[in-house]
Amino acid sequence: MISLTSPVRTWAHGWPAGLKLAGLCAATLVLFFIESVPAHLAIFGAVLGVYALPGRVFLATGMRRLRLLWPFILVVMLWHLWEGSVAQGVAICLRLLSAVALANLVTMTTRLTDMIAVIRWLAAPLRRVGLETRALELAVALTIRMTPVLAEKGELLSASWRARARRRAGWRILLPFTLLALDDADHVAEALKARGGLGN
Amino acid sequence: MSGVSFRIAGKEILRGVSLDVDVARLGVVGRNGSGKSTLARLVAGLVAPSEGRVRVNGKELAADRRAALSEVGILFQNPDHQIIFPSVLEEVAFGLGQQGMGRREAEAEAREVLARFGKAHWEEAAVAGLSQGQKHLVCLMAVVAMEPKLLILDEPYAGLDIPTRRQLMRYLGRYEGALLHISHDPEDLAGYDHVIWLEMGGVAREGAAEAVLAAYRDEMERLGARDDISDLAG
Amino acid sequence: MERNVALIALFAALIAALGLIPQITLAFGVPITAQSLGVMLCGTVLGARRGALAVLLFVLLVAMGLPLLAGGRGGLGVFASPTVGFVLGFPVAAFVTGWIVERWRGAPLTLVAGVASALGGIVVLYAFGVAGLAVVLEKSLQEALALVTAFIPGDVLKAAIAGMLTSALARARPQSVLSRADAG
Repeated sequence: MISLTSPVRTWAHGWPAGLKLAGLCAATLVLFFIESVPAHLAIFGAVLGVYALPGRVFLATGMRRLRLLWPFILVVMLWHLWEGSVAQGVAICLRLLSAVALANLVTMTTRLTDMIAVIRWLAAPLRRVGLETRALELAVALTIRMTPVLAEKGELLSASWRARARRRAGWRILLPFTLLALDDADHVAEALKARGGLGN
Repeated sequence: MSGVSFRIAGKEILRGVSLDVDVARLGVVGRNGSGKSTLARLVAGLVAPSEGRVRVNGKELAADRRAALSEVGILFQNPDHQIIFPSVLEEVAFGLGQQGMGRREAEAEAREVLARFGKAHWEEAAVAGLSQGQKHLVCLMAVVAMEPKLLILDEPYAGLDIPTRRQLMRYLGRYEGALLHISHDPEDLAGYDHVIWLEMGGVAREGAAEAVLAAYRDEMERLGARDDISDLAG
Repeated sequence: MERNVALIALFAALIAALGLIPQITLAFGVPITAQSLGVMLCGTVLGARRGALAVLLFVLLVAMGLPLLAGGRGGLGVFASPTVGFVLGFPVAAFVTGWIVERWRGAPLTLVAGVASALGGIVVLYAFGVAGLAVVLEKSLQEALALVTAFIPGDVLKAAIAGMLTSALARARPQSVLSRADAG
């Protein structure tokens, strides 16, 4: 499965993920305390500037992700236009765009393996229950592996329906689909046990 | 089909395939990954070609799903990925309901289909309790009930033991409509009217069964002596 | 132990796969995204603990940068966006749904699962979702609620479907509905 990490390599790709995440939390917190429109404009401009640094492709991808927010921007602006508090509306929208853009920036410059390493580090205090963290890593890997497999089986079921029906599949298709997931879980559990299992 | 190409995410699965066939028993042979399953889906109208046209009996089935139901039926490899309903009767009656029959009518017709196959006692059976071969049969009955003029079989014998395979073969041999049988195993297609050999998305050879299958077998043996299994796709 | 891990992973994969495959249409031709239905099913089928863990795993993967939310959305941006409340509320919704199905034994499963899905997947989920919306968009709770009321009827339908699916599942293969299968 393709993650959202950008193939365009930046210097940020090499920074430790934990630091980037901590920085993001701090930045988002600060953003929420800023009220003035000019400040938010400056911040958003700076964020866009950072996006532009690695090149057009990176910037274009970033913009595409931000575009998903348009319904909210629309609703907020209409709301505040109606209420006569346009400045506040603009501030809210800019803050939203900046926060999401910064968060996406971290996602785009951090590889999946680095994220998993952070999770492992965060879970370390739970290591008194030692086995739990191994199970977590395994679960992550399993889900990533099995999602495309299940999706493919879902397509097959869908094809089987469409081959006999005039319209696309209805909700009933979720019945065999759920059964497939349950069966796969059994097979996977068996395979796990056969290869050493998780103990316990 | 004429000049048909099919692409998924930029990868060409079929390239410029043109076929004009009119026989009762048509076979399609080829290695795994040659595009056979895609061909099956194109003929069934489940997908539309990226380029070119596909017509069955003059109709383009990808667009005309209504006609598709009575023109073409398709049987896939794994019954576990095909059976939608938990009971045999529901599964067989499903397509009939989709063809316009009311619920009672569809169930009555489904019972008749079961009887025709000598499986009237399967009416209340739960699919979950059936063997692999029995599930294959349920899929066959569900499709045959709709009386399609052309039955497409996509590797129907995959993973079946010898007796089950023979029994299924017998049921299929009795089919009155046309068959389009896709397989990687030339044994399945012996005695067919016309065989098409698909190779890497294009037609390598087509013609009388014996000749094409012999050539195919030789080529497969030759490739078996090599080691292209080591080659990665991307 | 392996079985639990496998079940949790597979159901997380199920929710993800539901985001990948195209929308399912309801009887009247209205398309719905099946993901929230998947969350409800995690609760009704796996029960409170495993169901919540499965959904939590899913949310974790989204946070790590996988585009698993319907429409190919994912990454940390989701958690800074107005829908953050809904995403964070998913695991809680699954837990509540599962908890009700596990405890309420007196009534037919369709009803139990349907009501549980509604209480978990709508009441609890929307509580989180509306709160998140209110914070991110700087609106009052009532205002935020007004923004999402349009989606509620669709979700009520989903809860009903979840109920029917759960009981169909129990009929098709009784041991599969794990929220009822074992002691807890």
